Amino acid sequence: MNTNAKSDDEQSGHRLRAPGSKWQYTKRGYALSQSLKQFNRYKMASTVTLIVLGITLALPVILLFTSSALQQLGTRSLEGESLTAYLKNDVSDLQGAEIAQLWMGKPGIQTTRYISKDEALQLFRQNSDIGDAISVLGRNPLPGAVIVFPDTNTLSSARLDTLVAQLSGLDSVARIQLDLRWVKRLKSVVSLIQLVGGLLAGFLTLTALLVIGNTIRLELLRRRSEMEVANLLGATNSFMNRPILYTGALYGFLGGIVSCLVAVLAFSAIQKPAHELSSLYESSFRLLMPNISQILIVLGVSIVLGFIGALGSLYRPSQQLTYGVPNT
Amino acid sequence: MISFDRVSLEYQPERFALRDVSFILEPGSFTYLTGHSGAGKSSLLKLIACLERPTTGEIYAGNIRYSQLRKRQVPALRQQMGIIFQDNQLLNDRCVFDNVAFPLIIGGYKFVDIEKRVNAALKKVGLSDKAFDEPLSLSGGEQQRVGIARAVVARPKILLADEPTGNLDSQISAEIMQLLMQFNASGVTVLIATHDEGLLNTFNFPRLILKQGQLVQSDEQQRTVIAGGAVRSSSVASHRRNKDSV
Repeated sequence: MNTNAKSDDEQSGHRLRAPGSKWQYTKRGYALSQSLKQFNRYKMASTVTLIVLGITLALPVILLFTSSALQQLGTRSLEGESLTAYLKNDVSDLQGAEIAQLWMGKPGIQTTRYISKDEALQLFRQNSDIGDAISVLGRNPLPGAVIVFPDTNTLSSARLDTLVAQLSGLDSVARIQLDLRWVKRLKSVVSLIQLVGGLLAGFLTLTALLVIGNTIRLELLRRRSEMEVANLLGATNSFMNRPILYTGALYGFLGGIVSCLVAVLAFSAIQKPAHELSSLYESSFRLLMPNISQILIVLGVSIVLGFIGALGSLYRPSQQLTYGVPNT
Repeated sequence: MISFDRVSLEYQPERFALRDVSFILEPGSFTYLTGHSGAGKSSLLKLIACLERPTTGEIYAGNIRYSQLRKRQVPALRQQMGIIFQDNQLLNDRCVFDNVAFPLIIGGYKFVDIEKRVNAALKKVGLSDKAFDEPLSLSGGEQQRVGIARAVVARPKILLADEPTGNLDSQISAEIMQLLMQFNASGVTVLIATHDEGLLNTFNFPRLILKQGQLVQSDEQQRTVIAGGAVRSSSVASHRRNKDSV
């Protein structure tokens, strides 16, 4: 036996240095370095998994990023919208102005504006092609009207219908014209999109969990011999499981980055057409790029997903592992 | 000290891997565990390493009573043992240095101590010049020495070896045995499971002989089955006498 063999270092009295960095020889550092090595060792498989994970997570991420913009669309479109209460013909301008003043104090109403009979006639002449035809009548047939601007809370809730019902019930009011229906329809469509999107996001998140879980199961098979040896050398379960959990969290983190990249690319592609479309409707709606806090939320959630996926896959195989010396 | 008190291990009803085994291994003893394939050698080693729990009977390691050992206390017990395998079970994805350092990382040793101890262990087995080689690039004997370095690097009190010379030629086997004897001389209790007659005859140490799961007399001349009797392995002092006579 070559018991006297000594390296040059030893002969010169030097000690052999560890090949890795100091942090790699701590329990957590070891787990992290093993996880990173695993990515490096199986580059192709890891890359494909990350792409699959990134694309799977991309849709929920895009929905998350757009949901705030859609929310904006719902409220912003309603801002400045109004309803018109046409007063009965026998209501004088003075009474009409008083009514408008009175309504301003009602709950759910932000402000009101009274349009007198003369002003209505003037507006009709300005804006209508048959404006001159009204002169034939010899009198002003147009009633006075109160333009009601509900507050934001009322606009975005069922309270608007209550307000309309209240105003319609008044003796002085002949008819209420509500021009907000299209906005309400749009809001319903947005809500539906958000609901369907949420369900899809849930399914895709579950898919991402399964992808991570399956990847970790394969990882467990690769690491089986190491875990068996570690078990014999007195490793605790947490020591053996830690590299697996770190791998899951890493998959989640990197998958989250890929999904953010995909989302940003998708946003870049649809930003211009979305802007053009909203311009056609004279809307101030803008599809904004995701901000840092949104990206951090996505990364945090995807790390947790990776961790949970790894934890789930650890449960059964670790019970099944039969550590031990071979039979002789 | 390791003590077995009427230990049985039943895999299936009426199918015993070990039956009514009792013996005491004193601290610093060097003992062979012999018997044919299927005699129960590995089962006995698994019981000592707490990889299996006895169906009946009691095992002691020093003051530790295995039946009272909780699951979370088992890793700490194993860290006091060094285990050497026939196929050495080295991790081929890392160099020799990192293989030997592995039990120290598990034990939570400081980086400075890890470097110091790995250096000492590799020097002891004569593999300092191979510290950064991959295990697969080493010969069978060298791989087994890495396995021994890994088993002793945390300075265990007990060294369990399962057919440590099984795949090696007689010269390399003798070198491995010399190494194990050196560790034994420093006070480590050594138990070697083997059925290598050449080894048994060349290095004369007390034997625990298993036959169909039962312990027979340690003395080769008396192959009487002793059910429930305690066979005392000889102490370090008696080893020396035996070794001198070889």
